[in-house]
Amino acid sequence: MGKKLKKMAVVFAAALAAAISGGCGPSVPKLNVYMWSDYIDPDIVQKFEDENGCEVVISIFDSNESMYAKLKAGGTGYDVILPSSYMAKVMNDEKMIETLDLSKLPNVKNINSEYMKKLALDKTFKYSVPYMICYSCVAYDKGKCPNLPDTWGVFGDSKYRGRMTLLNDYRETIGAALKANGYSLNTRDDSELEKAKETLLKWKPNLARLDNEGYKSGVQSGEFVVVHGYSGDLYQVLEESKNLAVMIPKEGVSLSCDDWVIPADSKNKDLAYAFINYMCDPESAAANMEVTKYLSPVDGASKLMSDENAKSVVIPKAVYENGEMIIDLGEDNAKYLKIWDEIKISQ
Amino acid sequence: MKSRYTSLFMTVAVAVFMYLPIAVLITQSFNASKFGGSWKGFSLRWYEALFNDSSVIDAAVNTLIIAAAATVFSTVIGTCAAWALHKYKTSLQNVHYLLVYAPLVMPDILMGIGLLLLFVSMSVNLGLATVILAHITFCVSFVTFTVLARLQDFDFALIQAAQDLGAGSFRIFFKIILPLLLPGIAAGALMAFTLSMDDFVVTFFVGGPGSTTLPVKVYGMMKHGTPAVINALSVVFMALTLTVAVVGQILTHKKPKQEKLQWGKN
Repeated sequence: MGKKLKKMAVVFAAALAAAISGGCGPSVPKLNVYMWSDYIDPDIVQKFEDENGCEVVISIFDSNESMYAKLKAGGTGYDVILPSSYMAKVMNDEKMIETLDLSKLPNVKNINSEYMKKLALDKTFKYSVPYMICYSCVAYDKGKCPNLPDTWGVFGDSKYRGRMTLLNDYRETIGAALKANGYSLNTRDDSELEKAKETLLKWKPNLARLDNEGYKSGVQSGEFVVVHGYSGDLYQVLEESKNLAVMIPKEGVSLSCDDWVIPADSKNKDLAYAFINYMCDPESAAANMEVTKYLSPVDGASKLMSDENAKSVVIPKAVYENGEMIIDLGEDNAKYLKIWDEIKISQ
Repeated sequence: MKSRYTSLFMTVAVAVFMYLPIAVLITQSFNASKFGGSWKGFSLRWYEALFNDSSVIDAAVNTLIIAAAATVFSTVIGTCAAWALHKYKTSLQNVHYLLVYAPLVMPDILMGIGLLLLFVSMSVNLGLATVILAHITFCVSFVTFTVLARLQDFDFALIQAAQDLGAGSFRIFFKIILPLLLPGIAAGALMAFTLSMDDFVVTFFVGGPGSTTLPVKVYGMMKHGTPAVINALSVVFMALTLTVAVVGQILTHKKPKQEKLQWGKN
């Protein structure tokens, strides 16, 4: 019995070893990218691999916070990460990421200067390079809501009671109410926040629910007629349903951006720089925009796109004018969360 | 008669409640519309997109490698643990019981962070291997308790009888112990396999570059991905799981010669 069991043990051990070393092929340099799923054109990645003789391994996270928690606990092995701007700032403050050497990133000259000046959090590419911009706006059914005014105030209109949704995200939705009152969506002022709370309490009875996912199919099927959502998603819905349109509230909208950063412990920094630089090329930016429908800040990229797509990703002027980036408020986040709890439990 | 209709109604109601969502999912996977808000015609485009998306295929391969390895190892370890727990009733075994029991009630997030900290402190590179180790860790408990339940009915007199008749320990193991425990072991193994395939939290934390599994991929796709591709993927996986489950059922219902062995038990 002993001998046979030993033999079995050897077989098991061999199986485990095989399972572990499964991915090992000939040694080409590997670039480990950690980013959102379905957020890049696979053909562009393939092209980068071919030109640089390397393999790009993309790993996925589903929220900035879980990615941050994992890295904080000691998760390593990544060469390029794509957090949202506010998280990139936190990571920089905590010295988790590299200060960039711009001589290795000649293509950052293509990044739109107006975006950098007015909106970017890291205005000098000190630690990050912007990849895709997204703003939140409203999509509505043209047939059922003729002449919809371009204001956040539509959520207070009881005409569409029970057929509207706001995002289930405290910064986005409280931000919308702050904007409706003409305040900054990054305010720390208690009385302004109180006003926003009152506005939201007035809107709440008109809402079907707070929704982050179902609004896309809901507005398409006609279950909802006015929905608050992210630009890229909404333009993807619009592409299928011609009866829908996008409305950008004139009081201003929230913007967010995902930025490339290089973690301080990257083992493949040169390749990481090459990858980020490659993504700032107008041609790759155009290809990535076609796939994601989000907006790349790379100048000249939209000219390379087919017309229909270009229209959906060009940032409207209104967004530039009153738009604001959501920034991390540190301890003052608690103020927002407290209001959010009250909104959620109200009827 | 009345009660017959009630029970029939209940059966249908429960079946609808359980299976309607799955029916909707299967239908939607053939809907040409990206968001499934309205029916835009029958289409296989999401299946095509699924099979052309190498990242999904890679994730599926990773998931299967991890699930297979975790199942094999946790089944062997778990069965041994159950045997020890059942056979020896010492105070040290009580501690053992507690240790095996703990992962059943421990929140996933604790286990994920805890294992991550352990791997980091030992400077182990994160990847498939760490995910497999983590999955073995939580699967062992489930296997142990499934096999333990089976052992409650196990008659140790059979072993003594076999020894009386001159059977060696090797023969006893393969002719008596293994066949009698097999349904329990198989059930434990199936459970380990499904748990490993499903796990998101632990996998997310202990995974490294290139060890993305399907659950991690699917959660990631919620943000920018195409929901319709997830529908197609779910249907494919459901078909696979169903096959495994049916095969498992057939295997466990095939009664080995255990009836003959149990005749003296009453």
